Amino acid sequence: MDTVIQTTDLHKSFGPVKALDGLDLEVHAGEIHGFLGPNGAGKSTTLRILLGLARASSGSASVLGKDPWGDAVELHRRVASVPGDVSIWPNLSGGEAIDLISRLRGGVDDAAYRERKQQLCELFDFDPSKKGRAYSKGNRQKVALIAALVTPAEVYLLDEPTSGLDPLMEAVFTREVRRLSRENGASVLLSSHILSEVEQLADRVSIIRSGRIVDGGTLDSLRHLTRTEISFAQDSVDTTALAALSQIHDLAVAEGRIKFGVDSDRVHEVLPLLGSLGVKGLLVAPPSLEELFLRHYGDQVAPAAPEPTHDGAPHRRRHRTVAKTGA
Amino acid sequence: MPTVWVLYRQRLRRDRWQLLSWVLSIGVLAWFAVEAITKTFGDEASRAQVLKLATATPAILVLRGLARGPGLDSFTFFEIFTFLALLAGFMNTFMAVRHTRAEEESGRAELVSATAAGRWAPFAATVLHGIVANLVLAAAVALGFMGGGLAPAGSVVAGLATGAVGLAFLGVGLLAAEFFSTSRAANGISATLVMVAYLLRGFGDATGSVSPDGMTVTAAWPSWISPIGWGQQTFAYTGNQLWPLLLPVGLATVCGAVVVLIMSRRDVGASILVGRRGRWEARPWLRGPFALAWRLQQGSIIGWCAGGFATGLITGSLGSAIQSTLNSNASITAALREMIQAQGTSMTQLLVAALFEIAGVLAAACGVQAILRMRQEEAAGTAEFVLSEPVGRVRWLGSFMGLGAISVVLVMAFTALGAWLSLVASGDTSTAVGDVWATGVAQLPAALIYLAVPAVVFVVWPRATIPAGWALLGIGVVLGVYGGMVGLDQKIVDLSPFTHTPVVTDTGTDWSGGFWMLGIAAVIAVIALVTVPRREVGTA
Repeated sequence: MDTVIQTTDLHKSFGPVKALDGLDLEVHAGEIHGFLGPNGAGKSTTLRILLGLARASSGSASVLGKDPWGDAVELHRRVASVPGDVSIWPNLSGGEAIDLISRLRGGVDDAAYRERKQQLCELFDFDPSKKGRAYSKGNRQKVALIAALVTPAEVYLLDEPTSGLDPLMEAVFTREVRRLSRENGASVLLSSHILSEVEQLADRVSIIRSGRIVDGGTLDSLRHLTRTEISFAQDSVDTTALAALSQIHDLAVAEGRIKFGVDSDRVHEVLPLLGSLGVKGLLVAPPSLEELFLRHYGDQVAPAAPEPTHDGAPHRRRHRTVAKTGA
Repeated sequence: MPTVWVLYRQRLRRDRWQLLSWVLSIGVLAWFAVEAITKTFGDEASRAQVLKLATATPAILVLRGLARGPGLDSFTFFEIFTFLALLAGFMNTFMAVRHTRAEEESGRAELVSATAAGRWAPFAATVLHGIVANLVLAAAVALGFMGGGLAPAGSVVAGLATGAVGLAFLGVGLLAAEFFSTSRAANGISATLVMVAYLLRGFGDATGSVSPDGMTVTAAWPSWISPIGWGQQTFAYTGNQLWPLLLPVGLATVCGAVVVLIMSRRDVGASILVGRRGRWEARPWLRGPFALAWRLQQGSIIGWCAGGFATGLITGSLGSAIQSTLNSNASITAALREMIQAQGTSMTQLLVAALFEIAGVLAAACGVQAILRMRQEEAAGTAEFVLSEPVGRVRWLGSFMGLGAISVVLVMAFTALGAWLSLVASGDTSTAVGDVWATGVAQLPAALIYLAVPAVVFVVWPRATIPAGWALLGIGVVLGVYGGMVGLDQKIVDLSPFTHTPVVTDTGTDWSGGFWMLGIAAVIAVIALVTVPRREVGTA
């Protein structure tokens, strides 16, 4: 498969701060690649280097086989982007800003362009006639999104593109990006700390922590490393048989339900026993990226670490999930 | 109320350097005026001669004030007070808008009003801040005049007059902030009102009645509708009347009351006039970084050109008036020569050269601003937007510098046009009429240096662009325009580009300084353009 974006041992320092510390990233042609990490992990720095706005301290980066710093102008004809922190001109209207950006990219002002712009404005429920200073954060984000989506490109570099959008608009965004990838065969590098969004869209994921990739691969391959959560009503089920199984971890009873985790690739081995126990109200929750994420950021969730029993486990987990979204 | 106190301290802290530099500059200017006048027009006889010329020349009165005899103190008040009051006006309108509309526009006001401070405490803190600032300003002006050796009582009156005018414009600024939804518009309209007040008073003074000996002028009615005119009516040193100051203080009170009335009815963030809606689509010409640079700066470029045109008109009318009133006046000619350092034959030429130097400063400021705008684009993050598209850094920088160069030329063209029109209208037939164009061209090299140097700073040390741009201009003006007047060492004066601006005379113009500066500007500009591709883009 062709590689459209490749970085090798990429380093970037701001004075004593190492923003990137040997980042190896590879994005294949035609894929939507999720780039996951909390704020400050180096996502925006990576994207700025790929756009030629910042220069790598060492290591190499290439986009479409070219040097993003040296060949910036040539590359930008083929690359569309949404910056991480969108600001627009206070005295230009949203419509003017969108037109300007697309003209800068070399787009033509033909009927097809106008139709597409009109269509996107309607889809995103965006009023292009307000002055830039009058837009809310979400609406500024829409200016950048529409400007990026309105003219076709081969590669899209999207830096937390849905920040500030409401769930309805997020759904519109997800649909549009999927369409780009399926219909136009475009490659998308989607940086995010919103896991559900990446989970819905991405073919492959790279997880960045402190400036380096700590994990990556297809969603399926990553799921092997996670556990599926199973729970059912407590009733009068005898759990001793379950507790004896080696595939089962963190067995706990909470709020009248029995809960435990199973290695995701071994779920089928547990099911016969559940059948024989005649459990009621069975819930099987597939592993989420959330959990994957926690493995790399929640230092206590090492796979083999013994979990506290009973109420402790779910509480702690819920707590950490909250802390993560706030990060 | 403690919240008012907290907010007042926040305003004080935020403004500490800005307000300090305003107050100190105005105070130092007062002192400097006394020093300069003592030096140039040391004896009463020469001051009487200048006053005679001035009162016979309405155009001079526009830029000065109401004459009250040739004493050093009253002459100083005549020369400088209206200018001090003009600066006090700007200081106050900017201060008023900065703490009201700008805060609402940025959303910070909402943050504050959502606390126990409510809607009124921020307003009260701003008013308190303004009153204290104007009291300090009054003290600074009084001390400046006293430091120059003028009578203490009159100096205090002059200081109070400056502070009272400032207070009136504080009210005007606060009121303007209620009307407009953006700080830009509120600043624009209130600064325009300050200018209008200055010109109204100028018109009233110029059309006033002159005493038979030509030593005093009594203002006509237009001066009485201007806060700066009210301040003049104190006639510090000769009259020392304080009652006219009731007028500016009263105006400030009325404005404050209207603001309270409006604020008690409107939402936080709302304004009486609603901002215009924008266009659905960009105009066809808005493509490329040059068009963007123009779209972002068209308003200010038009403003600079209007300023140049007005300077030109004044230059022309002054020049012809002086020429016809007084063919040779040794002390004034000498003073002009100190300023521009050349041996011209015609008074008009000297005057054109001197006043065009001011227009040259305007043009240089316009050039500086073109580069600063680029830095603002970068700091705001919109530059990143543009540079993420197929726009090379050289083309981007080149566009802003190119537009800067064009606007510098435009400002001087409008200045020359204004001077030419007023000279032709006055029937002046001296060679100066044709020379205004050459004199306009002569100002370009220095102004272009002020385009090129900030551009290099922008490339190598982005964060310093804005302070360095204005500081370099300020130093250049002080050294080049006023340095000779106060007798600074020639080596220091030579550091300013403005010193080397060619002076057009009919005895042969030495253009070499201009060519040198043009060459230097070109080399510096090329350095900026060659090094910019190596520079990262960032907001820090």
